[in-house]
Amino acid sequence: MPNVLYFSDKALLAGIQNENEEALAYLYKLHFPMILHLVQNNNGTDDEAKDIYQEAVIIFYEKVREGSLELNCQIKTYLYSICRRLWLKRLALKNRFAGIVSESDTFVEVENDIAEATEKEEQFSKMGEALALLGEPCKTLLEDFYIQDLSMQTITDKFGYTNSDNTKNQKYKCLLRLKKLFFNIYKADVVK
Amino acid sequence: MKELEAFKLIENYLNGQLQGDALLDFEHQLETDPVMAEYFKQYKEVTSTLGFYNNRKALKQKLNAIHADLEENQAPALSPFGNKEKRKFFWNQHYATIAVAASVAILTVFGTLLSVDLWRSMGKQQAARYSALRREVENIKSSQRAIIRDITGSLANPSKEEVNPGNFTGTGFVISPDGYLVTSYHVINGADSVFIENRVGKRYKVKSIFRDKAHDLAILKIEDKEFTSFGTLPYAFKSGDSDLGEKVYTLGYPREDMVFGEGSLSSRSGFEGDTTSYQISIPVNPGNSGGPLMDNQGNLIGVISGKQLDLQGAAFAVKSAYLKQLVEQLSSDSLDAPIKLSKKNSLAGTSRTNQLKKIEDYVFVVKVYNN
Repeated sequence: MPNVLYFSDKALLAGIQNENEEALAYLYKLHFPMILHLVQNNNGTDDEAKDIYQEAVIIFYEKVREGSLELNCQIKTYLYSICRRLWLKRLALKNRFAGIVSESDTFVEVENDIAEATEKEEQFSKMGEALALLGEPCKTLLEDFYIQDLSMQTITDKFGYTNSDNTKNQKYKCLLRLKKLFFNIYKADVVK
Repeated sequence: MKELEAFKLIENYLNGQLQGDALLDFEHQLETDPVMAEYFKQYKEVTSTLGFYNNRKALKQKLNAIHADLEENQAPALSPFGNKEKRKFFWNQHYATIAVAASVAILTVFGTLLSVDLWRSMGKQQAARYSALRREVENIKSSQRAIIRDITGSLANPSKEEVNPGNFTGTGFVISPDGYLVTSYHVINGADSVFIENRVGKRYKVKSIFRDKAHDLAILKIEDKEFTSFGTLPYAFKSGDSDLGEKVYTLGYPREDMVFGEGSLSSRSGFEGDTTSYQISIPVNPGNSGGPLMDNQGNLIGVISGKQLDLQGAAFAVKSAYLKQLVEQLSSDSLDAPIKLSKKNSLAGTSRTNQLKKIEDYVFVVKVYNN
């Protein structure tokens, strides 16, 4: 879907800032072949390319949304650099590092972003584990309240509690449990 | 329960639900009580991580959807003809151009094939540039002549065949007094019956007694009870080759009346180097075939056979040596009484017109019927 609205990086950035899904899809499709090429040429599979690329897009997207992105190159170059770094890391994990073939491609230093991203990835997976341990109905209750921003009354009706005070109490309990689980998993890991 | 109470307070504070003294109280507690400060920090971390977790999860789902969409659209895009709609669109846009291009291509192909074919057949025509000179009689003209003859009431020709002028005509001439004549093989080829007729309308039925396809010669014999003898022939048959540049002439029937043609002997060999014939520069036409080729002294040196179509003034005549050879073989092999070719030439030294006067009685039109 060639959308002329997003032909420039500036327009794309603005589109992502405004949570425009078309802009995201356009960006995604625009640069995927490049990363697919990179990974395929360096002992990678299509699925690995997809993983790497999605990780990079997530980093990029979240940084744009936070407003913390300091972009002093093209989006293309930024994504390429992130992917390159991520792929090198993954190759190192696989003990198959042989240097990336086309080092002539332009890339920028993204060490800080990668470190930050690793930290976030950690948080993400720990939170996933914590939520899994938390179980239902706590998980949905918390999501409904903190994420969906549903009103107490709606949540009360949905879960069949007698009144909204009950729901509130239940919610706090769940939040506390999640906190404990999360810190247990997360901090324990970090301390190690 | 203290922790739970603390969380409630923190949440209310963040939602802006704490007011007046309660707000001041809480803020004070936050600054002084390290346990409360720790709870506050934890609350923020957990809720923000939860928000982050959910956002990222949603984003991942979105990206997976986009990727699936990408792969779905990529597969047909890789096919060389694009997807169906694009093809349809392309066809609608360009069908006129495509139709024109296709018809030009078809025309070119068939045009090329046809012209190559034509060119080949032209080549074939060129190869067949030798033309035998027997004449196909035009029925209308000849029957007109027959009608005129009926009106004038020529007594010499009472026979019924007069009306039918024959399918083909050529020329023939006498080779011996007892009724032998020679003509070209191709003149009488495929004939049912053959008649000869001289310039005054005297008609005889003849039978072909020998045909030599290789030399294009045929020997005829008169089979008519009225016929007695031709008397002594005025010309002799030459057995050697004649010289280049010699003046030669012929008599023949390219039309209903006898036609004289004159020229020179231009080559000792004939069509495509054929050494059994001469090339002569006499203008000849269909009907001249089988005519006698005479030299200045009145010797018979050949028999007219054909001409080359793509060459100006190139006619051919079979050499008399081969005629003599043929007659001699024939006499020894299959005839009771041998044909005696005359060796005495009574024309030498006389003028051309006198020669012609003597010869013309011995030159006949050969009429061939093959229906």
